[in-house]
Amino acid sequence: MLEIRNLHATVDGREILKGIDLVIHPGETHAIMGPNGSGKSTLANVIAGREGYEVTEGEVLFDGKNLLEMAPEVRACEGLFLAFQYPVEIPGVANLYFLKAAVNAVRKYRGEPSVDAMDFWDLVQERMELVKMDESMLKRSVNEGFSGGEKKRNEVFQMAVLQPRFAVMDETDSGLDIDALRVVADGVNALRGPERGFLVITHYQRLLDYIVPDHVHVLFNGRIVRSGGKELALELEEQGYALYNEEPGRARRAAA
Amino acid sequence: MSSVAPVVQNPFRQQFAAFAAGRREPDAIARLRREGLDRFASLGWPTRQQEAWRLADLGALAQIDLQRPADALVDAGVLPTLDLPVHRLTFVNGRFAPGLSRLRELPGQALIASLGQALLTHPERIEPHLERLPGLSQHPFAALNTAFWEDGAFVYLPRTTVAETPLHLIFHATGDDIAVYPRLLLVLEDGAQATVVVEYRGKGRYLNAPVAELQLGAGAVLHYHQVQEEASQAFHLGGVRVRQGRDSQANLHLVSFGGQLARTDLDTLLDGEGASCVLNGLILAHDRQMGDYHVRVEHAQPHGSSEQLFKSVLDGQARSVFDGMIHVRPHAQKTDARQSNRNLLLSKQARANANPRLEILADDVKCGHGSTTGFLNPDALFYLRARGIPAEQARTLLVHAFANDSLNRIQLTPLRERLASSLADCLALGNIEEQ
Ligand SMILES: Nc1ncnc2c1ncn2[C@@H]1O[C@H](COP(=O)(O)OP(=O)(O)OP(=O)(O)O)[C@@H](O)[C@H]1O
Ligand SMILES: [Mg+2]
Repeated sequence: MLEIRNLHATVDGREILKGIDLVIHPGETHAIMGPNGSGKSTLANVIAGREGYEVTEGEVLFDGKNLLEMAPEVRACEGLFLAFQYPVEIPGVANLYFLKAAVNAVRKYRGEPSVDAMDFWDLVQERMELVKMDESMLKRSVNEGFSGGEKKRNEVFQMAVLQPRFAVMDETDSGLDIDALRVVADGVNALRGPERGFLVITHYQRLLDYIVPDHVHVLFNGRIVRSGGKELALELEEQGYALYNEEPGRARRAAA
Repeated sequence: MSSVAPVVQNPFRQQFAAFAAGRREPDAIARLRREGLDRFASLGWPTRQQEAWRLADLGALAQIDLQRPADALVDAGVLPTLDLPVHRLTFVNGRFAPGLSRLRELPGQALIASLGQALLTHPERIEPHLERLPGLSQHPFAALNTAFWEDGAFVYLPRTTVAETPLHLIFHATGDDIAVYPRLLLVLEDGAQATVVVEYRGKGRYLNAPVAELQLGAGAVLHYHQVQEEASQAFHLGGVRVRQGRDSQANLHLVSFGGQLARTDLDTLLDGEGASCVLNGLILAHDRQMGDYHVRVEHAQPHGSSEQLFKSVLDGQARSVFDGMIHVRPHAQKTDARQSNRNLLLSKQARANANPRLEILADDVKCGHGSTTGFLNPDALFYLRARGIPAEQARTLLVHAFANDSLNRIQLTPLRERLASSLADCLALGNIEEQ
């Protein structure tokens, strides 16, 4: 459902992504790991359509459609979701109001009428329970004054309400205690299904105990230098990325 | 007299002779008018050399040969409504329009009337208060108003009178090359309470130079709303004077949408212990509009508190000015005075000027002020769009969120809702439902 081919992207003229190839099929969950600054969030942002990233080569197809030509909101309406590494605070816009605007925007795009108020409330209640979010957060401004963990939970909550077909989770586990981690994982697992795909960016193998990936990739210096099964995450946890840093050749050999 | 004031060519003196000759009113009032005219003559037409008028471009106004307005009729359909039972007084070109006014039953000795009429029936209620408040002494257009006001609203609530029904005061101007000088005198005796909505609006190219005087006795509570929606070619140069007695509360909401140049000078004197005020101002301007608040809050007594929140949203080449002074007299210990000015620029050509000023002469006070100016947060825009919300709608949402901070302080729901939709129209953005 997501095909990334030879993707090169620059920020301020500096090449960050140096030829990414990645194919994710419906029903699959892929994990990306890699050291700080390797380009993980850049990849997520390019997929979601954030300004300031220039794609200099390659393509990204979503269900065969050219994703890179779509405005960010169109990508979202097509069923793409990005759980932000750093969710933005938006003072003055109530969380619930924002969510309803988002749901209705997607419905409008699909030619459906606005969501029925009662149906929406039922959905919200149900999803709130799923991520164990407090009802008071609905009335508060989007992410304003939320703790780090609450912000991440809010991302998963939004995802659970919007029910995208493909979600990129950018370090949704960072800064979470073990209970919160489980909640986030439950939120993701509840959505997993044969029609949905996930790209989970993380630094910690521990998340992958809960969200068990089909494939793990190592992103290093703008390239996927290695791919493997879930056991790769364990290996990385033990050995770190030093291997890739010192001897790219050996890494490639190890990958082969 | 300043050498730049072209008093000899000042057409106002000539106009005044004819105007004053036709008035039938107490001598004391006639004297006030002459003093107003003299004060205008000595202040002169403002120039950009004067600090207080440095950023105001009155060139286009100076080109107009301002005449006194003709009598005019307006259709009731063009007047704003509030969807509430109100006492309504309407003035067209500064003159009372009884046919467009409606007073409901008033408690006891309360009086809500045309100022001109009340001056004939109750001069003793008016003379002790009219033009008695300090403030605006350097404001040439307030001086002109004192010379030339024809009519306005008089609101008098005796001790402990609570006016449950809001007062809706509509000042409509219509015509080209005219100047109107409406007046509002509001006297709340000790413990009285009132909610007032003042609307300035019109059609044509005119100058509206209103003056409002608001007096609050001990423990009085006032909710005052002033909505400036003048015609796009109009000039609005108004003044508000407030004096607050002990433990009184003044909540003043000023919203400015219209006019090519709209400025309000607001002088508040906290003249009793424990008096408090909230001054909530919002400017929305686009194209080449200019909106300006000059605010002075004077703490004269201990334990007073004041909170100023002034915001502007500017599109096109619009400009805003916020000049805000907090003055704390030596005696006014335990004062808590805060001021915040926040400006949102929707275009690269828009410009906001902030000039916060503090004069703190007491040592045991809490004072704070801050000013920020910026564009819409691109990260917030992206966040909304990444959830499927189209760019325009996302922009609208964020502008509303910014302005709602001001609008949400307005407790009068029908007014707040109307202003929210005016805001959308004003900025030519899509309307969104209230949160
Ligand atoms: N908007 C931007 N402006 C400038 N530089 C950027 C921007 N976005 C990314 N970069 C740079 O691109 C490189 C990759 O950053 P990216 O955020 O993609 O890393 P990451 O793999 O997500 O790291 P982390 O694990 O710390 O989140 C870094 O050197 C970063 O400074
Ligand atoms: Mg990152």
